[in-house]
Amino acid sequence: MSPPLLQLSGVSKRFGGLHALSDVSFQLNDPGIIGLIGPNGSGKSTLFSTLVGLHKADQGSILLNGAPIVGLKPHQIAAKGMTKTFQNVALFMEMSVLDNVVVGALLRYNVKQAHEWAMRCLERVGLADIAEKIAGDLSFPERARIEVARGLATRPTILLLDEVMAALNSVEMEEIMALLRSLRDDGLGIIVVEHHMHAIMSLCERIVVLNFGKKIAEGTPQEIAMHPEVVRAYLGREYVSGG
Amino acid sequence: MKSWLVVAAAIVAACALPLFLAPSGYPIRVIALALLFAALGQAWNIVGGLANQISLGHAAFFGLGAYTSTLLLINFGVSPWVGMLAGATVGGFAAYILSFPTMKLSGHYFALATLAFSEVLRVLASSWASVTGGPAGLSVPFAPDSLLMLQFKSTLPYYYIILVALIAVTGIFVWIRQSALGYRLRALRESVDAAEVIGVDTARAKVIAAVISAALTAALGVLYAQFTYFFDPDSVFGVISISIRIALITILGGVGTAIGPIVGAFVIIPLEELANVLLSSRTAGLSQLFFGILLIAIILVQPRGILVLIKSGVNRARRGKTS
Amino acid sequence: MAFVQAVLDGLMIGGVYAAISIGLTLVFGVMGIVNFAQAEFLMLGMFIAYFVWAYLGLDPLIGSIVAFVIIFALGIVIQRTLIQRVMRAPAVAQIFLTVGLLIVIENLALLAFGSSFRSVSTSYQTSSLRLGPLFIGVPYLAAFCMAVLSGFALWLFMDKSWYGQAMRATAQNPLAARLMGINVERMQQLAFGLGVGLTAFGGAIILPYFTVNPTVAEQFVILMFTAVVLGGLGNIAGAVVGGLTVGIIQSVSALVFPIQLQNFVLFLAFIGVLALRPHGLIGASR
Repeated sequence: MSPPLLQLSGVSKRFGGLHALSDVSFQLNDPGIIGLIGPNGSGKSTLFSTLVGLHKADQGSILLNGAPIVGLKPHQIAAKGMTKTFQNVALFMEMSVLDNVVVGALLRYNVKQAHEWAMRCLERVGLADIAEKIAGDLSFPERARIEVARGLATRPTILLLDEVMAALNSVEMEEIMALLRSLRDDGLGIIVVEHHMHAIMSLCERIVVLNFGKKIAEGTPQEIAMHPEVVRAYLGREYVSGG
Repeated sequence: MKSWLVVAAAIVAACALPLFLAPSGYPIRVIALALLFAALGQAWNIVGGLANQISLGHAAFFGLGAYTSTLLLINFGVSPWVGMLAGATVGGFAAYILSFPTMKLSGHYFALATLAFSEVLRVLASSWASVTGGPAGLSVPFAPDSLLMLQFKSTLPYYYIILVALIAVTGIFVWIRQSALGYRLRALRESVDAAEVIGVDTARAKVIAAVISAALTAALGVLYAQFTYFFDPDSVFGVISISIRIALITILGGVGTAIGPIVGAFVIIPLEELANVLLSSRTAGLSQLFFGILLIAIILVQPRGILVLIKSGVNRARRGKTS
Repeated sequence: MAFVQAVLDGLMIGGVYAAISIGLTLVFGVMGIVNFAQAEFLMLGMFIAYFVWAYLGLDPLIGSIVAFVIIFALGIVIQRTLIQRVMRAPAVAQIFLTVGLLIVIENLALLAFGSSFRSVSTSYQTSSLRLGPLFIGVPYLAAFCMAVLSGFALWLFMDKSWYGQAMRATAQNPLAARLMGINVERMQQLAFGLGVGLTAFGGAIILPYFTVNPTVAEQFVILMFTAVVLGGLGNIAGAVVGGLTVGIIQSVSALVFPIQLQNFVLFLAFIGVLALRPHGLIGASR
């Protein structure tokens, strides 16, 4: 029995008096797509930042493929197989699209191989044709997809996606969802933070719901849609009755 | 392919140039000095250009090189070539040590810290007379013409040694820029967090760049000592005479580009000498004043350097636009 | 007892360091830039006080007020014509603009005043007061008192006047300040003028026991920046504490260390604070 891909136990993070995360626990056993939802300020982005090491969890443990990672630097966690995208997209604006992805690929390859692998990652997200453009010149949805390519370039086991579907039209959203499903089929574990409920419901096998830093529910999309506390905190009765 | 030809042609021209000049005359001396400062600018370019860590304290490493080598020479008769290795080691080590407290700093804070470091070394060198000769400085002991002792009566051999140094430092800069380290430095320059998250050990990249830059600067300090025969704390640890001049040269020419420091040096150094020649007694203040005004002008008009300025001027002339 | 005397001496001179450093921290607090040319304004203040003494026969303590007014005005002009233009530029541009300013001011002074050292002589220059077993040099005490007065005046201004409060608002949140109708640019001009004016004032009040020449700034650069960093860049009260601390460290370390190491001790304090508590020993105020 191999260890779970990702296991959080009792993770807590405080900023001064603010309890950003309180005793969060869940795990991802096999490649799959987990949704992380909750109202604004519920701690989703903080959880992502804590998982990749930008913040250090005050309490609790995080195991990546069975190895503890609390206290490791982000680049060490990336080397162990987990990386994330940024909600406000943090591309290297003055570098070309390809170079952006190359930086990620350099984690695993030398410069020459990194270029080839970066190109393949760009093809995977369907943006190979703009490889030479400068990142700062792109539209927001394009930048979001480049970030995904850059994350993929590090050959992760777990990819954390922070609202990559913001500002997408429905066609682009379907494309992204198809991409994520194919990545999952290739063996990747993905956690997505999104506010697009129908995307989350159709994409994810399981959903974790946060509110005020605490996990208030975990389950399949159907269970979550009916869960009274989730409905009260986040979804709203209209969703349930309309759903 | 074309750029290789241009570079090769430039090197050939640089090698041939001294043949037309008096081997110990003033012009060749100015050009040699310009080459040396171009190399210094290039070394600074590694941190200031690639990593965007604005160091105002590179004089620290320059002076450490000069003092290390010359003290070894005076006290133990060690060849300046060995002194260069020793100086580079001391300079690199100093950068390594300094990187710990400055790791999380950037922008103004970082500039401040580097400035303070070089200033302290300057004061130390000035007051520790028993070791460093104090404010009176050090003289390189005389030796007859010798490659081993890096001393020559005429400027010509120095010229070629410095030219080789410039080519070497430029080569190192170009190599770093297109290596994995170069990519990582450019990445962390824009977003340390994003770089970290995708696996870049930003601390390590910064330290490596800093150590290389410092070691090269220190080695060039040794060359300077051998070239000028004499130096004191103010001339090698000087904020304005070394640290700022190096940075200005690179910024003027185009920070982050390989050719920037070379262009900048060959604008600034000859201009300074010209100012020194044309203006008689009050030259010290006047040429530095000109320096300062030039710096302010560059910053206000085109911080990316005169090459960009010229390029945009040419573009505008070509298009015949007035706006 | 020598230790207590050293602490007392350090306190006296530290008060002046505080007055000098407040200006630097004020500029950083309101504008977010480190004015690398700050020490040059100290030199200018000293020269103004010198000339007031030499040509008008007025004590430098009065000259210090003249210095403040002149440099305050000059500061506003410089901010409007030069510094304003790089407020939105990257750090590189801001750093090298003030560095260029440093070079220009120092060399203009060199050209105008020559490189000779000048000093004033006042009636009280060599006298000192007795405080039990301790001595206080009168010029030091006078400077200390002026420094305290100026600090108090600044505190009154920052705390009670509209302009002072507007400046503090600009320091904390420029966008919000602008939205509240505060003219941020004018606040920055005011802050810069005040900042360099105060440092010039500080230079003038130490003229009685210092010699002035255009390169005098370099003796104060480390002191000033250490004081400011110790107290937290942008924290005015911190600059006061930092100034006093630097004065005491300098004075006490003179007892123990040879002169060559005194600045090194300061540097260690400086770099230690930057590394471990970049917001200063007092804590963040921005």
